[in-house]
Amino acid sequence: MATQLSGPPVQISAERQIVAFSLGSELYGVDISKVREIIPSQKIVRVPRAPEFVEGIINLRGRVIPVLDLRKHFGLPRSQSAEDQRIILVEDEYDSIGVVVDAVSSVMQIPVDSIEPPAQVIVGPDVEYIEGIAKVDDDLIVLVDLTKIISDAEKRTLKEAKNP
Amino acid sequence: MIREAEAKEYAKDLEVLLAETDEILANTEQNLVLLEKAPSDSALLQELFRAMHTLKGGAATLGLEEAVSVCHGMETVLDEVRTGQRSVTSEMMNGLFKVLDWLKDWRNAIGEGAEGPPASGILPVVEALQICPSPSEGPQSNVPLKWPETCEKLPAKGAAGALTASLEALVSQGNPVYVLTVRFRTDAPLLSVRCFQVLTLVEEVAEVAGSSPSLEDIENDKASDALTLYVVGEKESEQAQRIAATVQDVVEVSVRRYTVNTTIAGASSPDKKPEIRVEKTALGKTVRVDVALLDSLMNMVGELVIDRTRLSQIAARLMSNSETAAVGSEISSLASHLQRTSSELQDGLMRARLLPLKSIVGKFPRMVRDLSRRCGKETVFSMTGESTEMDRTVLEAIDDPLIHLLRNAVDHGIEMPDERERLGKPKAGNIRLSAWYEDNQILVRVEDDGAGMDPERIRRTAVKKGLITEEASRKLSEQEICELVFLPGLSTASETTEVSGRGVGMDVARQNLERVNGRIELWTRPGEGTQVTLRLPLTLSIMRALLVKCADEVYAIPTSSVEEIFSLKDQSIGSVRGKQAMKVRDRIVPLVSLKGVLSDSPWQRDGSRYALLTRTQAQPVALGVEELLGEEEIVVKELRGLLSRVRGVAGATILAEGDPAVILDINRIL
Repeated sequence: MATQLSGPPVQISAERQIVAFSLGSELYGVDISKVREIIPSQKIVRVPRAPEFVEGIINLRGRVIPVLDLRKHFGLPRSQSAEDQRIILVEDEYDSIGVVVDAVSSVMQIPVDSIEPPAQVIVGPDVEYIEGIAKVDDDLIVLVDLTKIISDAEKRTLKEAKNP
Repeated sequence: MIREAEAKEYAKDLEVLLAETDEILANTEQNLVLLEKAPSDSALLQELFRAMHTLKGGAATLGLEEAVSVCHGMETVLDEVRTGQRSVTSEMMNGLFKVLDWLKDWRNAIGEGAEGPPASGILPVVEALQICPSPSEGPQSNVPLKWPETCEKLPAKGAAGALTASLEALVSQGNPVYVLTVRFRTDAPLLSVRCFQVLTLVEEVAEVAGSSPSLEDIENDKASDALTLYVVGEKESEQAQRIAATVQDVVEVSVRRYTVNTTIAGASSPDKKPEIRVEKTALGKTVRVDVALLDSLMNMVGELVIDRTRLSQIAARLMSNSETAAVGSEISSLASHLQRTSSELQDGLMRARLLPLKSIVGKFPRMVRDLSRRCGKETVFSMTGESTEMDRTVLEAIDDPLIHLLRNAVDHGIEMPDERERLGKPKAGNIRLSAWYEDNQILVRVEDDGAGMDPERIRRTAVKKGLITEEASRKLSEQEICELVFLPGLSTASETTEVSGRGVGMDVARQNLERVNGRIELWTRPGEGTQVTLRLPLTLSIMRALLVKCADEVYAIPTSSVEEIFSLKDQSIGSVRGKQAMKVRDRIVPLVSLKGVLSDSPWQRDGSRYALLTRTQAQPVALGVEELLGEEEIVVKELRGLLSRVRGVAGATILAEGDPAVILDINRIL
């Protein structure tokens, strides 16, 4: 990281730092600037009648923070083991929101030119939160914008609140 | 193209201007309403004039020409009224209010980054104001005080040479001239506005012979963090010094005598009169604090409270064992000390969140006035207890309901003037908003001496809309019938005029109140009037709650919503048409289980061992729970964003063990 910072600006713009995590067998990445903190999994308390994709709430140093289940959001099956689960904290406009992921693999630098725009055929037309797909070695990493996912989710709850 | 830095600067200045504009417009609105009642109040007119002047200055520095011309027009009119050249007529009042509304629209537009509305839309009104008839009997009894010379009339101060000359002339005529040096915070935004304000204020108490930077420069935004004014008269200069120190961002005001060989603008000179410095150490006794900071402090106190509870638990455990009893009691006394300290801290912080009712009711006099006019009614609106303080969340929650209640009072409550006369009531209806403290609660009441509600009409409407059966409605008392207006769907909004049609209905008002643990009460008598009282909690963030366990999760239920607790095995559980019910004294109360309610099958039979008799506004319900963990004082954490609208969830808290728990809003979950 230090070398990155002292390097010439050209290099910085040519690479992106992402936090890579997995959900089941799939690899995802989020821009490191959007991530506030990564914490080990902890007790998540269910909130009755909350929107489906909200896993519950956690206590983060005295603050109560909602936690989302990305699997539900992405339509993936439920996870089995909770061993490596982590909660990625994302700063929202007003507050923090946690996102449960299966495991955080690493912070990596991805050359910008290895990122391809999302093909609409694969991700569908309404999926704004996919920024691109990066090819690293033999793996495909789906780069997602977590803040968009959250605002997306908020819009959905608003809609649900309007027509219950 | 504006460069980025400039754009940023502009954005910052705009933000300051907007905040100031809000304040000015709110004050102006109140003052206009007052002016209508006291058209010759010179202090009021002066304040109105000054407000427009400041606004004009602010708009000018940001190059918002449209508003400058409108403010200028207002200024001229107010000046003429002030000097007795014109009198205040109801026509003029309407015009002034129209201009004010334009300014509000303008403020909202620029606030959203849009172009303001064109001045051409309102300038005709301003012009019409200027040709309002002059008073026939000349200026009224009020002696035209020395009206501040508008800055434009000052001698040209652009060229320093000319200024020196005019100052020397003054001195040679035997006029003592003083140099007033005003320093601003160097990082203060909108310096030219501040200079403008100082200049305007000083001109009210003293003759200003010139300034550096000159007015022209100030208007062209060439102000710096220092402003030098040349003031005539010793006493006046002292007054000027005091008044200048009241302007925002001023850090220091000094005065010295001007002598002929003093060079313009600043260079210090030996003077007979020692320099008097007014250090603005007393920056007022209040500070502005970001609510987010208060919230985070409150969170930390909350943690302290949790730690304290934890400590007490540990102490109790230690004390139960004879070997560790001594240590235990030591910890226990520590815990009780911690309890005192933290609850004082909590108290203090909660008080810091309080705001006076004043901060939301300022707009009401104008609103009532406008509404009355539109409905062709005459009203006298009065307010008492505006300084009653409450939590800002509570204030937010009652703002809309109060608007609704006042609208109702004008539109439905107060009768037409001739009707009132026929009934032997004073022609003008009374509407009163009052607030006071009572038994650990805040009461806010809106009352009128109008027609009151007609229970029969309400009953028929409710039956017609299918909210209640004819048969059931016959059994209700008049009071109970009137309370039907709080039911969703009864809102008469659809059948009323545009006046009451907007905003929230009574049902929403009640919901708003319930969200902040408040209640709404209604009293009405046909022909005598209506009284609606809002009962509000003093503070919000702490509550006593029952902790219950249900399906391995702990939930908090506010104690205030539980009437009584029963052990279920002692009660005879019966069933009414397949639904569980229990007998509480002489009443049959439906029994639902919390587990069932939370999984949307409320009637399921389960191992509930306790029943909580709820205290809802409607019918009481017994809520079965598996386990009772006890009653505790909990710190309420607001759930925001995604979880702010979950029905039946009032927030969350953190338990002594550190786990979060959901606070259930029993009234809304059932």
